[in-house]
Amino acid sequence: MKLPRKKLTASVPAFAMGDIGFLLLIFFVILARAQDDSHIQWQPAKLADIKMAAAPLATVAIDSGFKTYLDGKEISPDELAGALSSVLGDAPSGQRNVFLKVHKEAKASHFEPVIAAISEAGGDLVHILEPEEISTNP
Amino acid sequence: MKLKRGKMLVDPPASASSDIAFILIIFFLVCAAVQPETGLAQVLPKTEEKKEQREQSKNIEVSITPTSIVLNGSPLQLPEFTRRINAALQKKTRDADRIVVVKSAPNTPYPIWIRVSQVIEQAGGILTLEMESKRTITVE
Repeated sequence: MKLPRKKLTASVPAFAMGDIGFLLLIFFVILARAQDDSHIQWQPAKLADIKMAAAPLATVAIDSGFKTYLDGKEISPDELAGALSSVLGDAPSGQRNVFLKVHKEAKASHFEPVIAAISEAGGDLVHILEPEEISTNP
Repeated sequence: MKLKRGKMLVDPPASASSDIAFILIIFFLVCAAVQPETGLAQVLPKTEEKKEQREQSKNIEVSITPTSIVLNGSPLQLPEFTRRINAALQKKTRDADRIVVVKSAPNTPYPIWIRVSQVIEQAGGILTLEMESKRTITVE
């Protein structure tokens, strides 16, 4: 004689759905917003009277070793204009923001070819800087 | 006579604490990742080879070195440079006349360069970089 086995049902608890949705949302927010250039060692120069910068299409950095990076990947200044043109694509003027992060000890021989390359690619250049504290001493 | 009602202690479910900690970690991660950045937008004309030498010579010329700023041949310090460039650009109305040709010594530090370029832009100048072109000559 065969005894019928009892069927066990496994259900996902519905109260966890909110948590799962929230975590997925945050995951995609991070993917969309964070460009991984955290490994680049640089210190910004200070300047007074600067504004908040809008979101960029690309980020170019010159690190403390004066190497050039495009979106976290090392690149030579000679190749930068071409690579940047393909990143910027057909984006309209005003939405072609390129962040330029230059280490404060860099010299003109390091950053001028990079600025020229951004200009050649038609990028809207935004220098990333640190706001300078204005001394209140009389 | 009033009877005191005994208070009942309710423990939050311990199984939720790991979820709470995880969400807090992600919250701080997001805060760190999407820090707003501050900067200076700069309008630069598209790079092109120097063709019209005569036209360029009419423009205001600024040379930047680590120790001084030279405006049309006169070496100045930043406050005096600010005053003179403002005065020079005030009279100019056409865009073509507001072009300021900037030539930097190779060892000019970035903080000095960015300060000078900010002054030029605030005065209404259109910054143009003059760079020495690289040429390789092979001698046999």
